Formats: sequence, structure tokens, C-alpha cells
Amino acid sequence: MSREIIAFCCEHSATPAANLAGRLGLHYSENLRLIPVPCAGRVDVVHILKAFEKGAAAVLVLGCEDGACHHIEGNTRARERVRYSRTLLEEIGIDGRRVGMFNLAPDTPHKFLDIVNETNETLKELGGGK
Amino acid sequence: MTEAKIGVFICDCGGAMKNIDFPTIKGELDAIADVASVNLSSDLCLEEGRAKMLSCIKDENIDRVVVAACAPQLKEHVFQQVLRSAALNSYLMSMADIREQCSWAHEGDVTTKACGLIKMAIGRARLLQPVEQKDLLVKQEVLLVGGGFSAMSSAIQLSRLGLHTTLLVGDSALGVRSRELEELLGLEVAPMTEAIDRDKNIEIVTSAELVGMEGTAGNFAVRIRKGGEEFVQSFGAIIFATGPRTEILPQDPGSKSSTRIVSQERLARWLRASSPQPRPRSVAFVFDSSDECSRLPTLVTLNNALAVKRSWGSEVYVFCKNVKVDSEGAEELYHQARERGVVFLKFEDSPGISIEDGLVRIEAKDVLLGQDATLTCDVVVAEEKVSPAAGTDDLRSLLNVRTDSRGFLQDDNVHLYPVASERKGIFFVGDCRGDLDAARIVADVSSAVMGAHELLARGRITVEAERVKVDPQKCRACLTCIRVCPHSAIQLVRIDSEREVAEISDLACDACGICAGICPAKAIAFQGYSDEQILAQIEVLKAS
Repeated sequence: MSREIIAFCCEHSATPAANLAGRLGLHYSENLRLIPVPCAGRVDVVHILKAFEKGAAAVLVLGCEDGACHHIEGNTRARERVRYSRTLLEEIGIDGRRVGMFNLAPDTPHKFLDIVNETNETLKELGGGK
Repeated sequence: MTEAKIGVFICDCGGAMKNIDFPTIKGELDAIADVASVNLSSDLCLEEGRAKMLSCIKDENIDRVVVAACAPQLKEHVFQQVLRSAALNSYLMSMADIREQCSWAHEGDVTTKACGLIKMAIGRARLLQPVEQKDLLVKQEVLLVGGGFSAMSSAIQLSRLGLHTTLLVGDSALGVRSRELEELLGLEVAPMTEAIDRDKNIEIVTSAELVGMEGTAGNFAVRIRKGGEEFVQSFGAIIFATGPRTEILPQDPGSKSSTRIVSQERLARWLRASSPQPRPRSVAFVFDSSDECSRLPTLVTLNNALAVKRSWGSEVYVFCKNVKVDSEGAEELYHQARERGVVFLKFEDSPGISIEDGLVRIEAKDVLLGQDATLTCDVVVAEEKVSPAAGTDDLRSLLNVRTDSRGFLQDDNVHLYPVASERKGIFFVGDCRGDLDAARIVADVSSAVMGAHELLARGRITVEAERVKVDPQKCRACLTCIRVCPHSAIQLVRIDSEREVAEISDLACDACGICAGICPAKAIAFQGYSDEQILAQIEVLKAS
């Protein structure tokens, strides 16, 4: 297993938050690979599972805050899919904590950092990560 | 498919990414078979850099472009323009953000990560397909539903911008309700109705209601019922200004009809008419005993309390939970009221109101004194609740939009704020969105008018053709996408005598990809974010 974290980031919230983190010089571990998506609701179970197949240590789906999704309910649909992926992963013996759905606003780079750091903490326990 | 010829353009942003070893990256990328050219630059977004990029694309016959630079949100449009100048479709570009997401975000080994990011972008670029743009005709007609202040001022502004407007009014005339509220809210209705009557660009349909709507922005087919007859008319955009409904909330249901317990409106009429005999010696206002939203009740109470002081000189008490003075001038009104001797009593729990010997008795627990306060007075102006207009719920299901927790249209979604809805071409203004004061309504009206004008002004609108597309061969018409589309952009269309399939409207679609994510038959392709294009970026993990 590689140490990479794949983060599917909504272009209306998490991607700007990540960019803001960079602009403010807030450092986080370089094992994060950000894949921008137009809405967290675009992320399919297949994408999450493929990431694990290719050896990702963890997969994050990051979308808008609840009730403030640019596409109304993309974030809640994403959450459902993450939950479903988790059951599939556990079935084949991969710890469900390796996949997570988080909500954040575009102007919250610190929250973005917290999510990355928290995931790395979890990975310390589970193996992989930084 | 013939092999792509990929051109990679890397920019170090004028030396802002010193921790990346660019020559190493170039060496590694040069080894990739379909990468035709790797260019290092330090001013890619400036004129000189763009000119070099353009000539490189032309000279090397590049058909897929990868730009590794700053965040796409900043300069993507600049590079898309270069592609267009090179007669290349602007969707044939993929960007890697090696500045914000790499160089500036990490302390460790950023060169390896930057190289990985660029490879992800190359993987995606390889699979990109062009998306053409096309013009769609839009109907330069706006429908305004409502006959109040918001609707009238929207119509006047739209007419000034040259858009033909139809006012659909439920009442038998324009501004019936607004006239009643004129003094209460400080509006002037007569000049507006006169201006509308003179205006040839504004048509008024009275005693009518909207009973059905189909189609998408630019061409809504609206079914209107008037006097038992129904007809269909098409409009490019619809602005709803259906207003609020105020209802009096008696604390004791039995006392509702009492002449001692009146509504704000009745008090205002009373004040306007010849003064009553005898004049009430004491008047108490009660508001916000059940609801958090008290902007309008505060304004109306302050105005009325001052008017009572002025006209009758009565003793005035205001029982309130929360005086919300965030409207323009409300703070000033509050100070005036206090100076003139209006007594504000802050209470907890709902006050008890009862009729005793022809007078009204109010019992409440005063928060500041910490004890029960009892007051007997001549007239109580009971609390009024502002709620969505009757029929709002039917409208919500008819339009397939959401309401907020109190049932108002256009819930508090910050991404749509203030007047847009999840459906393009449909706007909500004024008090159908919540209890708004006049200044906020004016702002709402301007936003909606701008939105409608942007959509309709040219008579045609440029959209991306089939960026998100249903494959009719794969579609099994399960309706899942139609059910989940937040923008109501998908419809079922008949393709032959046997089959119906889902079809996405290019104009109504907001390119979120929720349908592509949920389609069980994987029949929906989203150019730029297709399954293959997303997976190609993951694929790189193993390789790196």
C-alpha cells in the first residue's frame, strides 16, 4: 500500500479551501493528491474503490457544508455513497475508517488542514499514510 | 482513436516555486511517449508567455494541452483563450495546480509530488474530448407572479431594460395589499401603479393564477388560469414575488374576535381614520413570543407605537423577546420610541392575555426584573406571524424547488443567495423569501432583474452543447437521474415508438455531475469529469 491520500474535492468548497491553505502558507503532508470534481455528488463508489485498488492509503470526499451545497444536495448524496463504499471495503477486509466524507466551506483552509492531519493520524494507526 | 499529441507547459510563476526542481520534472515528462513537448516558462500567463505557448501549440501540432501552474480558478480562462487562438477547443486542456497545492503547501519533497500532479493532468488530458458551444434562442418575455411592491418595482425596472413583462396578479387589481400596508411599511404605491398603467412594455393579467409550468430557462411554458379558462404562454424567465402572509396570533384563542385585541393593520387603519372616542389610554404591543424572525414585526411595532404616541398620546408598552433593529433606520426608530416614553418589557415564555372587565390583562415574566409583571390596558396589539403566502407549498412542488425550515421559498443557501433558485431562470424576490424590509426588497429586485436581463437581453444565450450527455443506447429510462437532478434539467423524451430515454437540457444543466455519479447504467458521460477521466488521474498513483 502506498502512503497517498486521494481527496476528491468539490470545486465550490474544498478546492478553494485547499488553494487558500497554500496561499496562506499552511503546510500539510505532501501525500495528499487532490482530484477536483464539480460537486461531491459527482464522486461514484467506483472512483473510491478504484483508488484503493491502485493502492491509496485513504480516500476523502470533501464537499460543501450541509445545507449550503452549491448543487443543493450533492454533498448528501456523496455522504450516502461514502457510507456504502465503507460497507463494501469492510466486507473485503479494508478498515472503513480509510474512507471519509467531510464538509467544509471555501473560506476554511484551517479545516482543510485539520481534515488532512486527522486522516494522517488515523493512518498512523491503520498503516500507510505519512 | 489516434494517439494524442500532448503539450506540457510548466510555469514557475516568476520564481515563486523555488523548492521545485523543474529540469528534473522536464526530464521525466519528456520520456512519456505521447508528450510532444515540455516547455518551462516563468511568465506563462503574461503576454510573452502566452505568445510562446501559442506558437508552440501551432508548430508542434499539439492537440491536448497540460498547464502546470497556479490554481485553475485564477488563470484557467487565460489559457483557454490561448487554446481558442490556436483554433483548439478550450476543453482540450487539463491543469495541474503545482503552486497552491504543492510548492506552497508542503515543506518536504515537492518535486516528486509536482511531477505526480502533472502526470495526473496528462492522464486526464489524454482522454479529453472537445465540447462545442452553441446558441439557444430565448424568449424575451418575463413573467412576474405577484402584484405587490416587489412585483411592481421588478416590472418597472425590467421595462426600463427593454424586456417585455407580464404581471400575473391574483387580486382583481395591482397593489391591493400594498396599499393597505403603505403606511405600515413606508411605501408609496400610487406612483408605481400609474407608471405601470402607462408602460406599454408591461401587461397586467388580474384575477389569475399560475397552475402549471413546463420547459426550462429561456422557454418556460406557463399554464395560466383566469376566470375558469386556461391558456399557455411562454416566457424566458419567471420572477416570483408572491409576498408573505401575516396572521394574528392570539394567546387565548377565545379572545381572537375581541375589539380589544387588534392586529397591527387594524390599528394602522384606526390611526388613519378619525380618532376613536374615547381614545385608548393605554396600548400594549406583544410580539415575538413564538418566533425568532422578528424583523418586520419590530419595524411595524416601532412605527405604530410612535404613531400611537403622536396621535393619541396614550401610554405605550411593548412586550418583546427580541427587538431586531438590523433594518435601515430601525435603531433610530427604537431610540425615538424610548425618548417618547414607550416602555419596552423583555419577557420570557409566552405572555398570558385575557379579557377582564372589558380591559385586557397581560401577564408576563419580566426578564430584567426577574418577576411576574401584570398590566391592564385598553387595547392590545397582538403578535403577528409572518409566514409564506397561501399556496407557497403548491408552488414549491410545481416548480420542484426547496423551501427553508419556515416554508419560505429560496432557502438560505449561500451559493444561491439572494434571489436565484436551483432552477435557472426562476427567481424569488421580496417577502416570499422571508420577512424582509423595504431596503432588502429593493436589493432583491435589482438582483433578480439583473439575473433575468443577463439571461434574456441578447435574445440568445451561449451554452456548452452536450457537455453532460445521456447515451440513448445505454439509458434504460429508470428515471433515477430525473429524480436526483437538483436543477430539474433532465426530461424523458421519446426516441422511437418503443422507447423513451432521459435527455439533458444544455441550458438548464449546471454541470454538477450528480446524475453521472448515480446512473446505474453508467449511461451519462460528463465531458471533463467522465469516469475514465477521473480514473485516469487515480491510475497515476501506482505508476509514480
